[in-house]
Amino acid sequence: MSKMMISRRAFTGGALAAAAAGLTIRFPVATAQEAPKLKGMLATNPKLNGWVKIGPDGAITVFTGRVELGQGVRTAMLQIAADELDVAIDRLTLVSGDTALTPDEGQTAGSQSIHYGGEALGHACADARATLMAAAATAWSSSVDQLTVENGIIKGPNGRAMPYGEAARAVNLVRDVDPTAKRKSQKDYSVIGTSVKRVDIPDKVFGRPTFIQDMRPEGMLFGAVARPPAYGAKLTSAALDVTRAYPAVVKTVVDGSFIGVIGTREEQVRAAAAAIAKASQWTLPGALFGGKPIFDYLKSAADDNKVVHNVGDVAAAQGRAIKASYQRAFQSHASIGASCALAVMQGDELTVWSHTQGVFPLRRELSAALKMAPEKVRVIHAQGSGCYGHNGADDVALDAALLARAVPGRPVRVLWTHEEEMTWEPYSSAMETELQAVLDAEGKVSAWSHTVWSLTHNSRPGSSKEGNNLLSAWYLAEPLPVPKRVNAPLPNGAADRNAVPQGYAFPNQKVTVNHHSVSPIRTSALRTLGAYMNVFSAECFLDEVAAAAGKDPVSFRLAHFADPRLAAVTRKAVEMAGWTPRPAGPRQLSGVVTGTGIAVSRYKNSEAYLAIVATVEVDTKTGDITPISMHCAVDVGHAVSPDGVINQVEGGIIQSTSQTLLEGAKYDDKLITSNSYGSYPIIGFDIAPKVEVAIVQQAGLPPVGAGEASQGPTAAALGNAVADAIGKRVRTIPLTPRNVLEAIRA
Amino acid sequence: MITLSVNGKPVSVDVPKETPLVYVLRNDLSLSGPRLGCAKGECGACTVHVDGRALRSCSIPLESVAGKKVVTLEGLGTPEKPHPLQKAFIEEQALQCGYCTNGMIMQAAELLSNKPKPSEEEIRAALAANLCRCGSQNRVLKAVKRAATEGV
Repeated sequence: MSKMMISRRAFTGGALAAAAAGLTIRFPVATAQEAPKLKGMLATNPKLNGWVKIGPDGAITVFTGRVELGQGVRTAMLQIAADELDVAIDRLTLVSGDTALTPDEGQTAGSQSIHYGGEALGHACADARATLMAAAATAWSSSVDQLTVENGIIKGPNGRAMPYGEAARAVNLVRDVDPTAKRKSQKDYSVIGTSVKRVDIPDKVFGRPTFIQDMRPEGMLFGAVARPPAYGAKLTSAALDVTRAYPAVVKTVVDGSFIGVIGTREEQVRAAAAAIAKASQWTLPGALFGGKPIFDYLKSAADDNKVVHNVGDVAAAQGRAIKASYQRAFQSHASIGASCALAVMQGDELTVWSHTQGVFPLRRELSAALKMAPEKVRVIHAQGSGCYGHNGADDVALDAALLARAVPGRPVRVLWTHEEEMTWEPYSSAMETELQAVLDAEGKVSAWSHTVWSLTHNSRPGSSKEGNNLLSAWYLAEPLPVPKRVNAPLPNGAADRNAVPQGYAFPNQKVTVNHHSVSPIRTSALRTLGAYMNVFSAECFLDEVAAAAGKDPVSFRLAHFADPRLAAVTRKAVEMAGWTPRPAGPRQLSGVVTGTGIAVSRYKNSEAYLAIVATVEVDTKTGDITPISMHCAVDVGHAVSPDGVINQVEGGIIQSTSQTLLEGAKYDDKLITSNSYGSYPIIGFDIAPKVEVAIVQQAGLPPVGAGEASQGPTAAALGNAVADAIGKRVRTIPLTPRNVLEAIRA
Repeated sequence: MITLSVNGKPVSVDVPKETPLVYVLRNDLSLSGPRLGCAKGECGACTVHVDGRALRSCSIPLESVAGKKVVTLEGLGTPEKPHPLQKAFIEEQALQCGYCTNGMIMQAAELLSNKPKPSEEEIRAALAANLCRCGSQNRVLKAVKRAATEGV
């Protein structure tokens, strides 16, 4: 591909052609200091032809570092490119996530694709369109103002027409993006802002090869890994002879405590790996958490304790003090399809197909683990099952690479088993929070403190300078160390994400984080990181404070909001749900009782605004919670695809309902034991609530991501609805029947 | 050698008779419709029709379908001749990642063939053991209702 680019530059004549097209006049004369600079993703990926290529034949290819995770990002990026280029979506080829071809945009995570990736792609496409129009204007000696574009054909006075391909031959698009290029104004969009049908859906409903699990190149072998019986266990003797029972096994690979199996039949390779793991001898490390209960461990072993936000003086605030603690268990990504990768070693070059969220960070991590030069490793994204954060996707890429290295020239596909995924993927950390507030004489909050205890929420590839973040790298004969974990700083934060009560006008505020540099149970990013627990705690606690003040939760929030967009989504959600204020306090506890709760948040204090009202039924005898309905209003600025936003928010609400009501992983002294849907149940059609989502339009504002907006507020709305139903507070996630009954009896 | 019918065509495969059907369909017959999920009948992603019944292909040994008619998502409908459920899933955008979609459609297709106008409760009951981690349940319900209305 790089050779092609070089030859195209030679043909177009580089800078000469650009000058001939009159391009230089588009750069204002300015001193170096005043010169506009490329921002965001364009600053690190400045090449225009890295984002958009227009061939002399008119073929248009657009590139994004953002990858499809089931969130519809391919379609959204095509919408943005189509609008800025004035071409139909079906004229565009989109290449995403390939270390040889696309921009390095880091991870597709944190609801940032539309906000940052979309802005960069849109800007580059706007630049390309303006450049092509300038070429036509020059050719026709007319002004750009007289020209229009219709589906890739530039139209001018007197019926003149010039396809993009022809215009592209006259200009140089192999250059840096022009920072002064102007995107269209929102009123001129015809594709952005409409609910275009997702381009990836037809293949998925017709069962066409779509996922990495469906890749089956000629000569492909299957691989599997025999995992240790405990985290950190060391192999003392590998029982490789058990593979004799599996005739399809062609090779075993042992490297330290890593045992891989390669063969011609997937089911036999998987069974052989399991049999080896069971029959081999291992040395076990000490008990997890030193045998302590997790919440004792979280509070006693935190080694990075600091105040990360302090406004005014919470200690000096006078009034009525209120305090509560909340806990949450370890939670899993629990993807339906386990992690999978395909790798092939050809000569000294390795190619890996992966459903990673970040092809470039994975390449860096792979090359370190394999002791290969990064330029000899190419990582190409292929779709996988939804991941919702950092699951085993990156790890299995190293497994596939380690096995592919043992059979040069043969592609090897490794698909983890579901048990393997649930045992070895990074979990979302168990967390504890402590909230304190002071109510002044007028019944308003004068001080608010939020304290967090947590293991890490980020051990992704690329998150550390030393060691390695891929699972099997820790088990090799020359193991790479597990990196020390650090908490990402505010404003985004990680353990403390959304712990700052920025949306509320509380005069005195303090946030304290107690973070661990070591995670005995491996932990990392699950949709919203710490924000899920922090929003649950803070929005539940706000209801507790409102109750102490004798105020309705909705009016109490409206009296404290520091941002009118929070009030707007709140009013909309309340209108949709038909909110009826009722005082907090003891309830008649017989039979099935109903409750309604609200929660509001702005994700990361910088992205989407969301308010949700949950209605639940609680069986006071069994403690069973049935979520009945969820009414939600969301503000993402100017939505690129309204239906795409609604789909993401609906999905987040159902997933968070599952997490909040059902999910808490169990473990023994060796490892996670919740390794199936039987032992780690997730929500099904039996109790999935009805969900209504409305978009509160904010025309004129840039779009932000929607993928994570509903996670935290849903948890808190459920917590508040249960408290409203039973008149008692359940402060432990998951809100199991047992926890509900304990609260009722308290 | 075991012979069966897959999507209307007779096929013979020479693999151990206890091999779970899903591996034969995916790896020996290069079909992608049935997705491999939990591999123990908990999630439903690998659902196929065997003589018209929706079954988990991860939990069926090959020998048990000898001489039987197996239909996968590819055989249920095509872009040219889509099954009403396939049309409805596109119309309702009833998925996110789509890994569970095969199971949702195959399970719902069995329901609609037995009960062309199911109630919402009946749809929920039929899909009770099909898991979706993306949270698309409400859209799946809408899609099945739409397919029922538009006819199978």
